Amino acid sequence: MTPTVIPAVALMTLKILGIVGLCIYTVFAGVLVRQEQLMAHVLEEQFQPIIRMFILVHLVASLLLLICAIILL
Amino acid sequence: MRPLTAFAVNPTDVRFETQEEAEKVILFLRQHFIVNIPWMLITFFLFITPTVIFPRLFHAVSLNLMLPTPYYAIGTIFWYLATFGFALASFIGWFFNIYIVTDERIVDIDFLYLLYKKFSEAELAKIQDIHYTSGGILATIFNYGDVVVETAGEAPNIIFEAIPFPEKVVETIRELTESEEAESI
Repeated sequence: MTPTVIPAVALMTLKILGIVGLCIYTVFAGVLVRQEQLMAHVLEEQFQPIIRMFILVHLVASLLLLICAIILL
Repeated sequence: MRPLTAFAVNPTDVRFETQEEAEKVILFLRQHFIVNIPWMLITFFLFITPTVIFPRLFHAVSLNLMLPTPYYAIGTIFWYLATFGFALASFIGWFFNIYIVTDERIVDIDFLYLLYKKFSEAELAKIQDIHYTSGGILATIFNYGDVVVETAGEAPNIIFEAIPFPEKVVETIRELTESEEAESI
Protein backbone atom coordinates (compact mmCIF):
# COMPACT_ATOMS: atom_id res chain seq x y z
CA MET A 1 0.00 0.00 0.00
CA THR A 2 1.54 3.33 -1.09
CA PRO A 3 1.51 5.98 1.65
CA THR A 4 -0.57 9.06 0.88
CA VAL A 5 1.55 12.21 1.15
CA ILE A 6 -0.36 15.10 2.71
CA PRO A 7 0.03 18.52 1.01
CA ALA A 8 1.68 21.38 2.93
CA VAL A 9 -1.56 23.41 3.11
CA ALA A 10 -3.36 20.51 4.77
CA LEU A 11 -0.50 20.09 7.24
CA MET A 12 -0.64 23.79 8.10
CA THR A 13 -4.41 23.55 8.63
CA LEU A 14 -3.88 20.49 10.83
CA LYS A 15 -1.24 22.37 12.82
CA ILE A 16 -3.50 25.39 13.42
CA LEU A 17 -6.46 23.21 14.35
CA GLY A 18 -4.27 21.14 16.67
CA ILE A 19 -2.89 24.17 18.49
CA VAL A 20 -6.33 25.78 18.80
CA GLY A 21 -7.70 22.48 20.12
CA LEU A 22 -4.89 22.23 22.66
CA CYS A 23 -5.49 25.84 23.76
CA ILE A 24 -9.16 25.01 24.40
CA TYR A 25 -8.15 21.84 26.22
CA THR A 26 -5.72 23.78 28.44
CA VAL A 27 -8.55 26.16 29.36
CA PHE A 28 -10.62 23.09 30.29
CA ALA A 29 -7.74 21.85 32.48
CA GLY A 30 -7.64 25.29 34.16
CA VAL A 31 -11.41 25.15 34.74
CA LEU A 32 -10.94 21.77 36.44
CA VAL A 33 -8.40 23.32 38.82
CA ARG A 34 -10.72 26.21 39.65
CA GLN A 35 -13.66 23.86 40.08
CA GLU A 36 -11.69 21.68 42.49
CA GLN A 37 -10.81 24.77 44.52
CA LEU A 38 -14.49 25.70 44.77
CA MET A 39 -15.45 22.17 45.68
CA ALA A 40 -12.76 21.97 48.34
CA HIS A 41 -14.24 25.13 49.84
CA VAL A 42 -17.67 23.50 50.05
CA LEU A 43 -16.51 20.14 51.38
CA GLU A 44 -13.47 19.31 53.50
CA GLU A 45 -12.40 15.70 53.18
CA GLN A 46 -9.20 13.64 53.53
CA PHE A 47 -8.96 12.44 49.93
CA GLN A 48 -8.93 15.94 48.41
CA PRO A 49 -5.13 16.49 48.30
CA ILE A 50 -4.79 13.43 46.05
CA ILE A 51 -7.45 14.72 43.64
CA ARG A 52 -5.80 18.15 43.68
CA MET A 53 -2.47 16.56 42.77
CA PHE A 54 -4.00 14.69 39.80
CA ILE A 55 -5.74 17.85 38.58
CA LEU A 56 -2.55 19.91 38.80
CA VAL A 57 -0.57 17.19 36.99
CA HIS A 58 -3.26 17.26 34.29
CA LEU A 59 -2.97 21.04 33.94
CA VAL A 60 0.84 20.96 33.79
CA ALA A 61 0.73 18.14 31.20
CA SER A 62 -1.75 20.13 29.09
CA LEU A 63 0.48 23.22 29.20
CA LEU A 64 3.60 21.20 28.33
CA LEU A 65 1.80 19.51 25.44
CA LEU A 66 0.63 22.88 24.12
CA ILE A 67 4.20 24.23 24.24
CA CYS A 68 5.51 21.06 22.56
CA ALA A 69 2.84 21.37 19.85
CA ILE A 70 3.79 25.01 19.16
CA ILE A 71 7.48 24.08 18.92
CA LEU A 72 7.29 20.73 17.09
CA LEU A 73 4.36 21.02 14.70
CA MET B 1 -14.06 7.68 57.26
CA ARG B 2 -12.68 5.49 54.47
CA PRO B 3 -11.56 7.36 51.34
CA LEU B 4 -14.12 7.23 48.49
CA THR B 5 -16.82 5.96 50.80
CA ALA B 6 -20.42 6.30 49.63
CA PHE B 7 -22.03 5.66 52.99
CA ALA B 8 -20.67 6.84 56.33
CA VAL B 9 -22.48 7.02 59.65
CA ASN B 10 -21.36 9.70 62.13
CA PRO B 11 -18.21 10.64 60.20
CA THR B 12 -15.85 12.77 62.27
CA ASP B 13 -13.52 14.10 59.57
CA VAL B 14 -16.03 15.77 57.24
CA ARG B 15 -17.04 19.40 57.22
CA PHE B 16 -19.16 21.29 54.70
CA GLU B 17 -19.52 24.93 53.75
CA THR B 18 -22.40 26.13 55.90
CA GLN B 19 -22.00 23.71 58.79
CA GLU B 20 -22.51 25.35 62.17
CA GLU B 21 -20.25 24.73 65.15
CA ALA B 22 -22.75 22.64 67.10
CA GLU B 23 -24.15 20.87 64.04
CA LYS B 24 -23.26 17.19 63.83
CA VAL B 25 -23.07 15.18 60.61
CA ILE B 26 -25.09 11.97 61.02
CA LEU B 27 -24.91 10.56 57.50
CA PHE B 28 -22.51 11.27 54.68
CA LEU B 29 -23.60 9.87 51.33
CA ARG B 30 -22.57 9.70 47.70
CA GLN B 31 -24.03 7.80 44.80
CA HIS B 32 -23.15 4.10 44.89
CA PHE B 33 -19.71 3.44 43.40
CA ILE B 34 -21.33 1.23 40.76
CA VAL B 35 -22.62 4.36 38.96
CA ASN B 36 -19.00 5.00 37.94
CA ILE B 37 -18.84 1.85 35.82
CA PRO B 38 -20.12 3.47 32.54
CA TRP B 39 -17.43 6.19 32.45
CA MET B 40 -14.80 3.64 33.50
CA LEU B 41 -15.73 1.43 30.54
CA ILE B 42 -15.63 4.44 28.19
CA THR B 43 -12.20 5.35 29.59
CA PHE B 44 -10.96 1.79 29.00
CA PHE B 45 -12.32 1.87 25.45
CA LEU B 46 -10.64 5.25 24.78
CA PHE B 47 -7.40 3.95 26.32
CA ILE B 48 -7.12 0.94 24.00
CA THR B 49 -8.34 2.78 20.91
CA PRO B 50 -4.96 4.07 19.59
CA THR B 51 -3.28 0.68 19.90
CA VAL B 52 -6.12 -1.73 19.15
CA ILE B 53 -8.91 -0.02 17.24
CA PHE B 54 -7.21 2.66 15.09
CA PRO B 55 -4.71 0.28 13.40
CA ARG B 56 -7.52 -2.13 12.49
CA LEU B 57 -9.77 0.71 11.35
CA PHE B 58 -7.07 2.31 9.15
CA HIS B 59 -6.23 -1.10 7.71
CA ALA B 60 -9.89 -1.80 6.98
CA VAL B 61 -10.36 1.46 5.07
CA SER B 62 -6.91 1.17 3.43
CA LEU B 63 -5.82 4.48 4.94
CA ASN B 64 -2.06 4.96 5.03
CA LEU B 65 -1.37 8.63 5.73
CA MET B 66 2.21 9.90 5.62
CA LEU B 67 2.13 12.39 8.50
CA PRO B 68 5.36 13.77 9.99
CA THR B 69 6.36 11.99 13.22
CA PRO B 70 5.66 14.97 15.58
CA TYR B 71 2.01 14.96 14.48
CA TYR B 72 1.67 11.31 15.49
CA ALA B 73 3.48 11.93 18.79
CA ILE B 74 1.48 15.04 19.76
CA GLY B 75 -1.77 13.45 18.58
CA THR B 76 -1.20 10.26 20.60
CA ILE B 77 -0.17 12.11 23.77
CA PHE B 78 -3.18 14.42 23.41
CA TRP B 79 -5.48 11.42 23.00
CA TYR B 80 -4.25 9.87 26.28
CA LEU B 81 -4.30 13.24 28.07
CA ALA B 82 -7.89 13.86 26.97
CA THR B 83 -8.82 10.33 28.10
CA PHE B 84 -7.26 11.10 31.49
CA GLY B 85 -9.11 14.44 31.59
CA PHE B 86 -12.41 12.74 30.82
CA ALA B 87 -11.85 10.20 33.61
CA LEU B 88 -10.80 12.94 36.03
CA ALA B 89 -13.84 15.14 35.28
CA SER B 90 -16.17 12.13 35.59
CA PHE B 91 -14.57 11.10 38.87
CA ILE B 92 -14.74 14.53 40.52
CA GLY B 93 -18.35 14.82 39.33
CA TRP B 94 -19.10 11.71 41.41
CA PHE B 95 -16.77 12.60 44.29
CA PHE B 96 -18.26 16.04 44.94
CA ASN B 97 -21.90 15.11 44.36
CA ILE B 98 -22.75 14.52 48.01
CA TYR B 99 -25.67 14.24 50.38
CA ILE B 100 -25.39 15.05 54.06
CA VAL B 101 -27.80 14.44 56.89
CA THR B 102 -27.09 16.40 60.06
CA ASP B 103 -28.96 16.56 63.34
CA GLU B 104 -30.64 19.77 62.08
CA ARG B 105 -31.14 19.44 58.31
CA ILE B 106 -30.43 17.54 55.16
CA VAL B 107 -28.10 18.94 52.53
CA ASP B 108 -27.71 18.11 48.84
CA ILE B 109 -24.60 19.45 47.11
CA ASP B 110 -24.44 18.91 43.35
CA PHE B 111 -21.78 19.89 40.88
CA LEU B 112 -23.01 19.55 37.32
CA TYR B 113 -21.12 19.98 34.05
CA LEU B 114 -18.10 21.43 35.92
CA LEU B 115 -19.48 24.96 36.04
CA TYR B 116 -22.82 24.56 37.79
CA LYS B 117 -23.11 24.18 41.54
CA LYS B 118 -26.37 23.51 43.36
CA PHE B 119 -26.71 23.63 47.13
CA SER B 120 -30.11 22.53 48.49
CA GLU B 121 -31.07 22.08 52.09
CA ALA B 122 -34.16 21.30 54.12
CA GLU B 123 -34.59 21.59 57.85
CA LEU B 124 -35.68 18.38 59.53
CA ALA B 125 -38.73 20.15 60.97
CA LYS B 126 -39.94 20.95 57.43
CA ILE B 127 -39.81 17.40 56.12
CA GLN B 128 -43.30 16.15 55.37
CA ASP B 129 -42.70 12.77 53.82
CA ILE B 130 -39.79 10.54 52.95
CA HIS B 131 -39.69 7.42 50.83
CA TYR B 132 -37.33 5.52 48.57
CA THR B 133 -37.47 3.70 45.28
CA SER B 134 -35.14 0.97 44.16
CA GLY B 135 -35.52 -0.91 40.91
CA GLY B 136 -33.54 -2.74 38.26
CA ILE B 137 -31.08 -5.59 38.33
CA LEU B 138 -28.02 -3.62 39.45
CA ALA B 139 -29.95 -1.68 42.13
CA THR B 140 -31.27 -4.95 43.54
CA ILE B 141 -27.89 -6.68 43.52
CA PHE B 142 -25.93 -3.77 44.97
CA ASN B 143 -28.74 -2.42 47.16
CA TYR B 144 -28.97 1.19 46.09
CA GLY B 145 -31.88 3.47 45.23
CA ASP B 146 -33.32 6.98 45.24
CA VAL B 147 -34.52 8.58 48.46
CA VAL B 148 -37.13 11.31 47.97
CA VAL B 149 -37.54 13.88 50.74
CA GLU B 150 -40.70 15.96 50.41
CA THR B 151 -40.64 19.28 52.20
CA ALA B 152 -43.32 21.70 53.33
CA GLY B 153 -43.91 24.98 51.55
CA GLU B 154 -42.40 26.06 48.27
CA ALA B 155 -39.04 24.45 48.88
CA PRO B 156 -38.32 21.86 46.18
CA ASN B 157 -38.11 18.20 47.12
CA ILE B 158 -34.65 16.81 47.69
CA ILE B 159 -33.73 13.59 45.92
CA PHE B 160 -30.76 11.48 46.97
CA GLU B 161 -30.00 9.61 43.76
CA ALA B 162 -28.61 6.06 43.63
CA ILE B 163 -27.39 6.03 47.22
CA PRO B 164 -26.43 2.80 48.99
CA PHE B 165 -28.71 1.36 51.70
CA PRO B 166 -31.70 3.65 50.98
CA GLU B 167 -33.82 1.91 53.64
CA LYS B 168 -31.28 2.75 56.34
CA VAL B 169 -31.18 6.37 55.17
CA VAL B 170 -34.97 6.66 55.27
CA GLU B 171 -35.03 5.08 58.74
CA THR B 172 -32.32 7.41 60.05
CA ILE B 173 -33.98 10.56 58.67
CA ARG B 174 -37.35 9.42 60.05
CA GLU B 175 -35.85 8.92 63.52
CA LEU B 176 -34.22 12.34 63.35
CA THR B 177 -37.44 14.09 62.29
CA GLU B 178 -39.38 12.33 65.05
CA SER B 179 -36.88 13.38 67.71
CA GLU B 180 -36.95 16.92 66.24
CA GLU B 181 -40.76 16.95 66.54
CA ALA B 182 -40.57 15.62 70.11
CA GLU B 183 -38.14 18.41 71.01
CA SER B 184 -40.42 21.08 69.57
CA ILE B 185 -43.47 19.90 71.55
